[in-house]
Amino acid sequence: MAAQQTRDLAGAVDSTDPQVGLAAVASLRNLVERLEELHVSNARERGWSWQEIGAALGVSKQAVHRKHGRRRRLLG
Amino acid sequence: MFERFTTDARQAVALAQEEAVALHHGWIGTEHVLLGVLRADGDGARLLAGFGVEAAGVRDDVVRIVGRGEDDIDPDALATLGIDLDEVRERVERAFGPGALMRRRRCRRGGIGPMVPFTARAKKALELSLREAINLSQRDLRAEHLVLGLLREGDGVAARILAERGVTHAAARERIAGRDAA
Repeated sequence: MAAQQTRDLAGAVDSTDPQVGLAAVASLRNLVERLEELHVSNARERGWSWQEIGAALGVSKQAVHRKHGRRRRLLG
Repeated sequence: MFERFTTDARQAVALAQEEAVALHHGWIGTEHVLLGVLRADGDGARLLAGFGVEAAGVRDDVVRIVGRGEDDIDPDALATLGIDLDEVRERVERAFGPGALMRRRRCRRGGIGPMVPFTARAKKALELSLREAINLSQRDLRAEHLVLGLLREGDGVAARILAERGVTHAAARERIAGRDAA
């Protein structure tokens, strides 16, 4: 995309247009999910326990296992 | 298993990987192998050209059927927050290898390595290609055998795209056998 267009969009960070703000939040959330999957997988491969991963993420080990355990088994 | 591959066939596999990365797919499926064959410009591409199959149209179909990776992450929307998705991807891939940030399909090998992993179907198609070469009494695995393998596998995205274009295993095999007999 053109540099000018990027600047226009970047200028929208303080815009109150819900469409702009919500789209940004949705993309950010999906990016965070992708990064979480990647780093949880990496931690498991390095032998980290669900307890340790949960602690690092600031959630309970049950929550992290519920979210990632099934996917990990499917991939494994 | 690649030692009996001809230069064209090896190139097709390397290009399959390139196609997967370009489409932001975190796997190499039959669809990428098909694109690799078409781009390798060898006997496989010539065989498919005889059926009117070319790379650009197939790539459009792959995007239509599978979509691009990261469809749910809009780089422009992230730019409004001052986040550069390319920069994030570059850093992640520097640590975890190409395709690391992309959505993963269920692959047998889920581990994070430098290679984008083959799906079970793509592996199956490669194995079947080897069998096709043997059945045709050919010593080397050529790119056209990859086409037969993709068709024989039958369930992948590549087989579906080829079926939509009227390419059948029987017809493709006949052309190869006919040309070799001539």
